[in-house]
Amino acid sequence: MRTTFRNTAMPISVAAVSLLALTSCADRAGGGEEAAYPTEDITMVVPYDAGGASDLSARTLAAELETELDVSVIVENRSGGAGSVGLDYLASQEADGYTLGYLPVETVMLGHQGYDIDPADFDPLGQIVSVPATIAVPADSEYETLDELLEAAESEELSVSNSGTGSIWQAATTALNEEAGTQLSPVPFDGGAPAVNAAVGGQVDAVVAGVSETAVAAEDGRLRVLAILDDERADVMPDVPTAEELGHDVSIGGWGAIGAPAGLPEETHEVLVDAISAAAESDAFVELIEDSGNIPVNVSPEEFQPFYEEENSRFESLFAEE
Amino acid sequence: MSAVMEGLSQLNDPVVLLCILIGALAGMLVGAFPGITATMAVALASAFTLTMEPVQGLAVLLTIYVAANFGDRVPAILVNTPGTPASIATTFDGYPLARQGKAGLALTTSAFGAAFGTFAGLLVLIFAAIPLSRIALNFGPAEIFALVVFGLTMIVSVSGSNLLKGLAAAGFGLALSTVGRDPIVGTERMTFGVLELSDGLPFIAVIIGLFGIADVFDQMLTHHAATAKPIQSFGRWMPNRMERRQMLKPMAIGSGVGAVVGAVPAAGGDIAGLTAWSVSRRSSKNPELYGKGSLEGLTAGDTASNATLGPSVSTTLALGVPGDSVMAVLMGSLVIWGFNPGPGLFAAQPDLVYTIAGIMVLATVLTLGLSLLRMRGVTKLLELPPHYLWTVVIVFCLVGTYAVNNSTVDVLAMIIFGVVGLFMRRLGFPPGPVVLGLILGSMAEANLRRALEIGGVSNVLTSPIAVGFLLVALASVALPPLLRIWRSRRADRRTAQTINQ
Repeated sequence: MRTTFRNTAMPISVAAVSLLALTSCADRAGGGEEAAYPTEDITMVVPYDAGGASDLSARTLAAELETELDVSVIVENRSGGAGSVGLDYLASQEADGYTLGYLPVETVMLGHQGYDIDPADFDPLGQIVSVPATIAVPADSEYETLDELLEAAESEELSVSNSGTGSIWQAATTALNEEAGTQLSPVPFDGGAPAVNAAVGGQVDAVVAGVSETAVAAEDGRLRVLAILDDERADVMPDVPTAEELGHDVSIGGWGAIGAPAGLPEETHEVLVDAISAAAESDAFVELIEDSGNIPVNVSPEEFQPFYEEENSRFESLFAEE
Repeated sequence: MSAVMEGLSQLNDPVVLLCILIGALAGMLVGAFPGITATMAVALASAFTLTMEPVQGLAVLLTIYVAANFGDRVPAILVNTPGTPASIATTFDGYPLARQGKAGLALTTSAFGAAFGTFAGLLVLIFAAIPLSRIALNFGPAEIFALVVFGLTMIVSVSGSNLLKGLAAAGFGLALSTVGRDPIVGTERMTFGVLELSDGLPFIAVIIGLFGIADVFDQMLTHHAATAKPIQSFGRWMPNRMERRQMLKPMAIGSGVGAVVGAVPAAGGDIAGLTAWSVSRRSSKNPELYGKGSLEGLTAGDTASNATLGPSVSTTLALGVPGDSVMAVLMGSLVIWGFNPGPGLFAAQPDLVYTIAGIMVLATVLTLGLSLLRMRGVTKLLELPPHYLWTVVIVFCLVGTYAVNNSTVDVLAMIIFGVVGLFMRRLGFPPGPVVLGLILGSMAEANLRRALEIGGVSNVLTSPIAVGFLLVALASVALPPLLRIWRSRRADRRTAQTINQ
């Protein structure tokens, strides 16, 4: 009798314990979520290789997010296809706030260049960095001002290097052409540094690159930056006029935001927006971005969303005309 | 002189020395792990070192860079799998040597060659950084295209005994290099809608597949307990006097080739190793031994791939253009630390160059010591029964390849190219030319198209450097057969004369 009791007691108690365990799990997944997000580690997808500028920005911000949210934020690099591989992966993840990603300007460009990327698949949670475009010529170039360069480019084709085909800097060259009616012929290189170097070495007539990429060579006197394609002058090159000051209404450049797969629960969304905004204000983050020559910003999603959509339609028409 | 003292005094700090030790251990480990490249290790480490003092951070990163270029030779020699792409040429002679029971000798020779190359390259960094950077600045698209064309002529020497099969393999490699988005206009080519392929085939995965995985497959199929013994004896470790003398010429060739290739932006240890191997073969008295276990070939390749380190650093510092992919990552850290790579750096902070050279010298000495010590421990690994060893190699390759991009497409490519490599091996097609075609094909295409975009055909033909390289390329293809014809004619004439007499 005793043994039979034992025999039946075992499975019953096992079942009871597992049931208890299950209910407690369900409890955590259901009721606990609202109160306690985040309870698990967060993954931050960076669509570029480790060590690059986007990666450094994302990593520094991730470290600050850890202090804000009190969980680990693990950076995962998924590079390839101009960023489309990582973005595609991010879009496929669950919108539960445990997978975030670094959204570069390419997020709104790739869809118009034949990649299967839709900006609507992401919820931007705040812009953190801005990288205005600059146009520069070799130090010994005959062109002293933007107007001289553009005037020459009206009658003949001038070669202008950029960091790669389909890059924001190539788009900036096209945008300049459209505005000024010029024939600047974009020559894509394999990265920003080789593109700048082609101008320093005099292999091309000019280069369009981010302000952080031309600043160093300009300081050494190897390059002459003719204009910055932004609404405001940059702190690293206060003497360089904006294109607008020179009468050309072109404002274009790279940016970086943090985003999540679209459809985040509202409360999770709020927690993240607050944390990202606080992290973007942190000294460590601001210093790193400034040291790398770019501009740290802290733009809320409400303010960023219209810009995000505007950029999307801008690139749609820009690439359609190309 | 004071800059030298100031630069070197920065190293007189126990924390910096500790950083070098940590870097050396980490670097050798990642180097030995197929798939995990020095680039990746430096990229991951840079996330930690950014918050350190610049000199300490540099000590970690540069030492990883140096040490990974020693560690990657071990799997290349022992299991025919390049630990990083820089040791592709090491497999050509290192693995045959190991199969002949001379693994010990191969490992030591390789380590000495690598150390010699590193020192030679550092001399370039210390004495010639600025003039070299001026030369490198002249390498625009047209010049790089011509240099790459010259590189492609090396297919002839890495083809092994059957030139036709070698050319076919190279053609296959060139065809593979067209996969991915067009480098200028960006249209998709043979990507079959796979996003991961838009940057081209995952190069590291292809190499590991063609060399390592294919070899394991091959061994598994041919394995008979009695005949196919894996490498068990290491034989002698130290080269004897005659072998030491044999190493001198390839060391000189390797240093020269490595210094030039290293200084050219974006060209790194893989290309240098292959080039030096074939240049050395052409000038050797025993070219027939190359690819079958030649100490000369091993030395030339390893000296050259490591001789690129110093010039790469000097191009990066003096020009602000990454000399190779590791330097691209390191440049990010330098900028954050407040060093602005460019000619101005040498004027503003001359001591930094000596600090960097000092770190790299210490790293090389330490790593050379470690590799001579540690390699004896590797014996244990090879005493494993072959089926365990195969499992270990395959698992390492799988994990390492996945870790590069967190991508299953890469793993799939590795396995597919393992099978492709197996068939090539069985049919007598050498894998070296495929890799050469794959690396150089896309470089040649992108740079030629850029050159044409900038100034048409005349852009290439008016550049003295480009025309020079193209002529050398032409000569290196056309001269050997012409010479052979000329010699045989002369020999004919002589025999005719003797008969007449």
